[in-house]
Amino acid sequence: MKKINFYFSTKLTFDDYVHEHSFALRVIPPETPAQHIVGCELSISPITAVDHNIDAFGNNVTAGYIKGDHRFLDFEIKGTAETDCTKYRTDYMPCYMYQSAFTKPSEALASFLETLSDDLSEASVSERVQTISSKLSEEFTYRKDVTTSHTTAAEAFEINAGVCQDFSHIMLSLLRLNGIPCRYIAGLAFCDGETHSWIEYFEDGVWKGFDPANDRPVNEDYLVLSQGRDFADCAIDRGVMFGSYTRQLTLVRSVMQQGY
Amino acid sequence: MNENVLRGSADFTEAIGNAKEINELLRRYGVKFGIYKNGVFKEQFFPFDPIPRVIDAKQFAAIEKGLIQRVDALNRFLYDIYHEKKIVKDGKIPEDFIYISSGYLAQCEGITPKNRIYSHISGIDLVQGKDGEWYILEDNLRIPSGASYPLIARELTRIASPEAFRSNNIVDNRNYPDLLRETMDYVNCGGVRAILTPGRYNAAYFEHSYLAENTDSLLVRSDELFVENNMLWHKTYSGQKTRIGVLYRRISDEYLDPLTFLPESLIGIPNLMEAYRSGNVGIINAPGNGVADDKGIYYFVPKMIEYYLGEDPILRNAPTYLPFYKADMSYVLDNLDRLVIKDVAEAGGYGVVFGSDLDSEKLAGLKDMIMSQPRRFIAQDVIDFVDLPTLDEGQTVMRKADLRAFVLSGKTTRVWASGLTRFSRNPDSFVVNSSQGGGFKDTWVRSQ
Repeated sequence: MKKINFYFSTKLTFDDYVHEHSFALRVIPPETPAQHIVGCELSISPITAVDHNIDAFGNNVTAGYIKGDHRFLDFEIKGTAETDCTKYRTDYMPCYMYQSAFTKPSEALASFLETLSDDLSEASVSERVQTISSKLSEEFTYRKDVTTSHTTAAEAFEINAGVCQDFSHIMLSLLRLNGIPCRYIAGLAFCDGETHSWIEYFEDGVWKGFDPANDRPVNEDYLVLSQGRDFADCAIDRGVMFGSYTRQLTLVRSVMQQGY
Repeated sequence: MNENVLRGSADFTEAIGNAKEINELLRRYGVKFGIYKNGVFKEQFFPFDPIPRVIDAKQFAAIEKGLIQRVDALNRFLYDIYHEKKIVKDGKIPEDFIYISSGYLAQCEGITPKNRIYSHISGIDLVQGKDGEWYILEDNLRIPSGASYPLIARELTRIASPEAFRSNNIVDNRNYPDLLRETMDYVNCGGVRAILTPGRYNAAYFEHSYLAENTDSLLVRSDELFVENNMLWHKTYSGQKTRIGVLYRRISDEYLDPLTFLPESLIGIPNLMEAYRSGNVGIINAPGNGVADDKGIYYFVPKMIEYYLGEDPILRNAPTYLPFYKADMSYVLDNLDRLVIKDVAEAGGYGVVFGSDLDSEKLAGLKDMIMSQPRRFIAQDVIDFVDLPTLDEGQTVMRKADLRAFVLSGKTTRVWASGLTRFSRNPDSFVVNSSQGGGFKDTWVRSQ
């Protein structure tokens, strides 16, 4: 068990006024057997009334509507959690067995998996996850600004480089091809100044975390914010607004510290 | 049954004489439907044929019972799929058929619509075989359109030929808006009724405005709606807001809420799904229904009736084969030239191929497609369904026709004693969809 203090903020700034702005945030970490949320405060500016719901995947959704003119939306969470790697979640959904919009495999992904078939045939689920990830890390390079949040697993694999989101999508695609139920995780980790992404796979009735971008199982330094079939289910913030702005600037900051 | 048709039309000579005027009135009324062809929106006149389809009371009672049973089972299935999934766990339907279906929406998991009704308005397409038996061709559970056509045609023929309605014991069909209003009110979560239209350039715009007027509902566009405090609101130009308790919509699920489904949707209502999940607004029909009217799932509906209701199905499916199953696959490949093949991803009469229309090269190509993507296709025996007398430039000719029956689920499940009879204008065609150039007839249900 490890106690961690977490902080995460996003500042959205528009170059012109916007109004009638609807948003949905998935930013409040869920209480699970593997992470106990001791406390978590969410602040949103401009100050607005929000509603808290839980979506189909078990995520906390904060929904709001800002009617009047504004030029920014800032939100931040601050809190303390106790993470425990010896405890596991069990909330299963059959859709995690199936490919989703971001993970549809290409022929290249399928043949990549094919090259590993000898190593995978006799192995346990955990061993297969590690084998696939290690091979992926050899071939695929971590690089910023070559992919966007819309890039699919097949597209990123084609480019052969990307960020944690792309590692996760490729990993999900390969694991599902191999018959392993798995899901996308958006969260915070010690290693990052932004949000991080990793995956969970289902073995022996429980979810186990694995970080393909760092090619290792997750430990108690990871805090889950949301989960789903792929990035589309987990976006930290989604919004729709009216206005004639042409640019939107997003500044993100996250801090994870050992708690006392 | 043929006798009925003849008797009905014999009493209807006066209206036949007025066919031209009635069609002219329908045209002026704006009874049209729009279709997109090669990316261009075209409004088409939906030709009305004055010779009605006539169904006698006894026959209709049997159809009615079968339709109620079918729709009740489909509603139970939808609840099950988005909650416990017992029918899959019990091995009645292979898991693949649920989760590969594009109509299954994981985002709807765990949502319980008010009174557990998912398909409030079901359009069930049937044909009558030459053996007299009725067969189900398709279930339409994502707000089927078309009820307004026979409604308005009846209104006009009533004027043109009052005598036909005095002497033929025809059940009045003018109660459709009342049935719809009761159905909406039963799942109203507090607020006014509203009918959402994507606007003027939509295939069902005529119907939206007609139904809004006749059910006393607001006719709204999505840019007049917003979600605040987990509730759905309509705003007027003067800034007043009115809460909406139940929303009838025909836009596809994927476009309904850009914060839950496709982010690029411009016709959706942000956070509508949050209000819906919280039980603050009813959506007619429920999002996620596509999993139950998938052409692949159709095969399993008789099994659903047995599973959920413990009853034998009253109405039969057309004999259907799933290449997904090995035995069916070899049957389909051996008999392809006399089967009709349907692509499960297509709707509106698209993606329907008759094996008999294909040359040997195309048959071979189709076989390869079926073998490589068995889940994508279903195959059916071609049902030799009845021809109905239809007027073609003053001559009575025989044309293939189907029937879309409308089933409304509220406090009880009811079948509208009428329906949309669509006929093919092409004497050699079995495809009767309006988007394929067919016409329509009124459907008379007799009270005796």
